[in-house]
Amino acid sequence: MEKNLFQKYGGFSKISRIVLDFYERLLDDDDVGPFFDEVDMARIVDHQTKFISSLLGGPTSYTDDQISKLHRHLTINTGHFDVLARILRETLADHGMEPDDVDTVVAALDSRRGLVVS
Amino acid sequence: MSIAAINEQLLRAIGVGVALLDIDDLKFQFFNDTFVEWFGEPDSDARLTDLFTAMDAEVLRRGLAEGGRFATETTFKLRRRTMTVAMEFNRAPDAGGKIAVVVCQNITRIKELESMIDSYSMMVERNTREIKREKEQVEKLLLNMMPRSVYEEYKTFGVVTPRLYDPVSVLTLDFCGFSDLVATVDPGVIVSELNDLYSAFDRIGEQFGCERIKTIGDAYITVAGMPDPSPDHVQSVANAAIRFLRYIAHRNESHPIKWQCRIGLSAGSVIGSVVGVQKYIYDVFGPAVTRALRIRAHAEPMTICGDAEIAGSLNGKFRKTGLGGQDIGGERIEIVRIEAETEPARAVGIQS
Repeated sequence: MEKNLFQKYGGFSKISRIVLDFYERLLDDDDVGPFFDEVDMARIVDHQTKFISSLLGGPTSYTDDQISKLHRHLTINTGHFDVLARILRETLADHGMEPDDVDTVVAALDSRRGLVVS
Repeated sequence: MSIAAINEQLLRAIGVGVALLDIDDLKFQFFNDTFVEWFGEPDSDARLTDLFTAMDAEVLRRGLAEGGRFATETTFKLRRRTMTVAMEFNRAPDAGGKIAVVVCQNITRIKELESMIDSYSMMVERNTREIKREKEQVEKLLLNMMPRSVYEEYKTFGVVTPRLYDPVSVLTLDFCGFSDLVATVDPGVIVSELNDLYSAFDRIGEQFGCERIKTIGDAYITVAGMPDPSPDHVQSVANAAIRFLRYIAHRNESHPIKWQCRIGLSAGSVIGSVVGVQKYIYDVFGPAVTRALRIRAHAEPMTICGDAEIAGSLNGKFRKTGLGGQDIGGERIEIVRIEAETEPARAVGIQS
């Protein structure tokens, strides 16, 4: 059976570091960070864990409908989405992910752009 | 620089928040840089409870008075990040019991990791439940294809060793005029009818210790005496056969398609094995199966035929009528019609 990216990059023990690093970078960013101002830490971490796991083929996946519902109350524009994509790209690259794989993941993220950008 | 000055420098620079507190009025005597970074710089006469409004001063004082220490956690936001700091208060022994040392450890990352593990374990548990459900479905499917003991062997070793079962009894059944029926009746109706009939046969067979092996179109084959040997294997198939006929007769009274079947019984040996690699199936074959199929061909509609061996093994609850010898597959076989000694009135009425 072909390995997905989640397995290729060492499963949860390695991916967990990417998740927490990504979480920190998002909060530190002044464009997308404010979206998380009023959100409980446990909820953000839960969301980021599922988000990264979902993009990398881990043990969960969000349906388009779920993604749409989760972001409906937020005013996310193209600029915000671009920042998120950039942070994701940087995080994955800094954790040693191969450029082709980074492209695949960011493309997977980009394909959901229409579901969250209002 | 004096040792005391170096110590103070170190204390200020370390990544642990440190403060000294007057136990009586809870005013700060000292705080290091990390403490200020997390909680802001206290005013010169600020009390602990001014910075930590939720903290109960009495509980703290009681803890310090009784055990000399008190521990708590505090949560706050620092540049959007939810910080969790574990605070430990210890009464300093050489200050006349008036000073408490406050040590604050940043446990934010631990809390974040805990949240992530919670999130991940929930995902994994949900996946495990889904996998378990799928596994049960596969198991159910395989148990439809082979006896449980064979399935267990297949699951454990990945292969099934072909086995000779001797003696067993084989029941084969087919329906008269099936080809004509297929040509004239809607395929969906045929399949639904067969499902109904075969499910009933399975239920009846199970009651008498028969293991359904397979169906091929309108042919149904079940065996008694395997995988576990049974001394009553002949009675089992004969009893099942009688009930099959009664069921069909009863069913025909209220259904548009009037099914007519023939049943052949034989006893002897069979080999049971999983056959095939990719598309595998559990199958039985051998003299008893072949003979049962051939004997069935000599049965009149809605009757059961067996050979002399079957007839000889049956007890008095069955009426046996010799139909003479037949050359079947190069051997002479005495065909015997088998009926229940006492047929229920309804079934007799239909058959006559």
